[in-house]
Amino acid sequence: MDLIFFKVAVVFYLSSSMSYLIFLVFPSIKSTSVALGCAVVGFVLQGLSIIHRAVFFGFFPLGTPFDALSFFAWFVIGLFLLLQCRIPSPIFGAIVTPMASVLMLFGSTFSYQVREPLVPILRSWWLPIHVTLALAGNAVFALMAIGGLMYILQERLIKGKRIGRFYRLLPSLETLDKINRHGLPVGFFLLTVGIISGALWAGSVWGFYWSWDPKETWSLITWFAYAAMVHQRVVLGWRGKRAAVLALIGFGLVMFTFLGVSALLGGHHAFKGPGVGAFAS
Amino acid sequence: MTAGIIVIGLNHSTAPVQVREMITFPGNEQGNITRLLLSNEGVGEAIIFSTCNRSEVLFVADDVSNTLERVIADIARIHGIPPESFRDYLYVKTAKEAVNHVFRVASSLDSMVLGEPQILGQVKEGYRRAAAVNATGPILNRLMHRAFFTSKRVRNETGVGLSAVSVAYVAVELAKKILGDLTDKSVLLVGAGEMAELAARHLAGQVDKPVVVVNRTFENACALAGELQGCAMAMESIEDCLVEADVAITSTGSCETLIKSSHLARVMRRRRFRPIFLIDIALPRDVEPQANDIDGVYLYNIDDLQAVVVENIGERRQEALRAESVVAEEVGKFMDWTKSLDSTPTIVAIREKLEKIRLTELARSNGKLAGLSPAQREAIEMVTKSIINKIAHDPIAFLKKARSKPKRNLYLDVVQRLFSLDGSESDPESREEKSVEK
Repeated sequence: MDLIFFKVAVVFYLSSSMSYLIFLVFPSIKSTSVALGCAVVGFVLQGLSIIHRAVFFGFFPLGTPFDALSFFAWFVIGLFLLLQCRIPSPIFGAIVTPMASVLMLFGSTFSYQVREPLVPILRSWWLPIHVTLALAGNAVFALMAIGGLMYILQERLIKGKRIGRFYRLLPSLETLDKINRHGLPVGFFLLTVGIISGALWAGSVWGFYWSWDPKETWSLITWFAYAAMVHQRVVLGWRGKRAAVLALIGFGLVMFTFLGVSALLGGHHAFKGPGVGAFAS
Repeated sequence: MTAGIIVIGLNHSTAPVQVREMITFPGNEQGNITRLLLSNEGVGEAIIFSTCNRSEVLFVADDVSNTLERVIADIARIHGIPPESFRDYLYVKTAKEAVNHVFRVASSLDSMVLGEPQILGQVKEGYRRAAAVNATGPILNRLMHRAFFTSKRVRNETGVGLSAVSVAYVAVELAKKILGDLTDKSVLLVGAGEMAELAARHLAGQVDKPVVVVNRTFENACALAGELQGCAMAMESIEDCLVEADVAITSTGSCETLIKSSHLARVMRRRRFRPIFLIDIALPRDVEPQANDIDGVYLYNIDDLQAVVVENIGERRQEALRAESVVAEEVGKFMDWTKSLDSTPTIVAIREKLEKIRLTELARSNGKLAGLSPAQREAIEMVTKSIINKIAHDPIAFLKKARSKPKRNLYLDVVQRLFSLDGSESDPESREEKSVEK
C-alpha cells in the first residue's frame, strides 16, 4: 500500500514512453498529447508518493537508494515538463520518460524499507539541503546529456542530408545547444554548492570537512570535468557537437558517482554495509 | 427531384497556359459575372473560382445538359471568344464527381504544387464574392462549408502541406533548423548572378540585418546590394565576411574552388565555432565539398537541396493518398445529405421526430399515469397523437406544395434546420461558418 502512488506513477511513465514510441514508429497515430498527459499525471503521482514517503518516514525521504533514485527521476521529469513549453519535441519526451521509468524501476530493486531507528546523522537539516542540491544538479546534467544526444542525432541528419521526419521532429541545433549553454552554469552551480553543503555537513557532525571517501573523490573528479567544460565553453568557445559530447561524458561520470561508487566502492555515502550506520556508530 | 451540382472548368492539367490566360473572368471582383451566370434560366446557384492555375464555374441546375451548353456559351461571351477555342480543354463533372472535385480543390489535392496553402484562400474568396451577390443558395452554401471543413480535416489529419517543396523553402527551413530564429542572423551573398539573387531574396525576407554582397566586380556587387537593400564588399574581404555571416550563398562563375576547407577551418576558429550554413548553387562548385566535414559547417549544394525537394514531394504524394480517403468520407456524408434534401424524406423525418417526442414524453409521465384505466390511457394516446398531427400538418402541406417551386431547396433546408433533422450537424455547422469568415 505504501508504494501505491509510486507504482501507479511508474505505470503512467511507462504509458507515456509507449505513447511517444508509438508516435515515432507510426506517424499517423497522434499520441503525443496522450504521452504528455501521462507524464504530467505520473509526475503529480510521484510527487504524492514522495510526500507519502515523507509522512511514513517522519522526515525527508532521502535515506535509501530507492528514495534517492525516485527523487532524481522526479526532478528529471519536472525539468522536462518545464522545458516542454520551450522545446516541444516528441523525441525529447521519448528519451526522458523511458529514462525516468528505468531509474524508478532500478530504484525499486533496492529495499525501500527504512532502517529503524533512523541513524541520527540523517536526521539533520543538512540531509535535504545536501541531497536536493546534488540531485537537482544531476537532473540538470541529465537533461544536458539528453539535449546533447539529440544534438548529435540532428547534426548527423543535417550533415548527412537526411532530411526526413526525424529531422522535422527534432528541435533546431541552436535550441539544443541552448540547453547546454543555459544548463551548464546552473548544473555546475548546483554541483558546487552540493559538494560544499556536504563538506559543511561533514564538518558539523564529524569535525572534518573532507575525508576522501570514494564518493567525495568521484564528486571532485566530476566537478573538475564540469569545470573544464565551463572553461572550454566560455574561454575557447566550444559549442555544438563538442559541447554535446562533453555533456554525455560528464553525465556518464555523474551516473557513476551517483550509482556506481556506492555499489562498487563503498564509503560513508553508501547506503548499506559499512555505510552510514557503521560510520555513525 | 434534387437539383444537380455541376462543375465545369479547366486547370493546369487540362489546358495549356495560353488557354488558361484567356479564361479569367475579368471584372468579377464584385461578383458581377457570377450574377450574370445566374440570369441563365435553370441555373439556381453559382460560384466562380479563378486562380492562375484554374478557372471553374460551379453551379446548380435542374436540367444538366441544356444548362451546361448555355453556361459554356456565356463563358465564351464574357471573354469575347468562340466556345470552340476552349471547349476541348474543359472538364465537366456532375453530382458526386463534382462534389469530390470541389472538396479536392479546396484541400489542395488538385493543385499543381500538391498541398500548397493558397488555394483554400482563393476558393474562399470566390465563395465570398458569390455569396455577396446572393448567387449561392442552400446547396452551394452547404457544399462550400463542407469543402472548408474537409480542407481543415486534411490539413490536420495528414501531412500533405507539411514538408517544403521548393528549393528556397527547403533552404529557409534548413537555416532555421541549424541557426534557430533567423531574425538576428546575417546573410552573405558571394557572386552577383541571377540565381544568387533569387535564393537570397527568400532568406533576406527572414532576417533583419542587411544582406552583404561580395563579388569580383565591385560594381555588380553594388548594383545587387542596392536592389536587396544590403551592402557591397570587395572580394578580398571574403574571409572577414564569412566570419560575420550566418548563412552564405555562393554562386560565382569562378572555375576554381573559391572557398577551400582550410579557409573555412580558419574561419571557424575566428567565428568561435558559431555554426555557418553554406549554400553553394554555383557550377562548378565554389566551396570544396569536404568543408561539410568541419565541425559547425553545414554545406548544401543545389543538388542536395533539389534532392530534398524531390523527397518531400514524394512524401506529400504519400500523404495525399490518406487525404483522398478523408475527402471520400466527406463526399459520402455530403451525398447523404443531398439525398435527404427532398420533400418525401423530410416529411418522414418530421413525423418520426414528433412521434419520438410523443413517446418519450409519455414514457416519462408513466408513473403519474399508472392509475388510469385502459380506456383513459387510450384517450391520452389519441389526444397526443392528434396534437402532433396538427402540429405537423402545416409544415408538411407547405413542403408538398413547395415541390414545384423554384426555391424548394431553400425551404427544405430551412425546415430541416428548424426541426434540426440533421441533428448531429448543428454543432459543426457553426464552426464551419466561422471558418469561412476568417
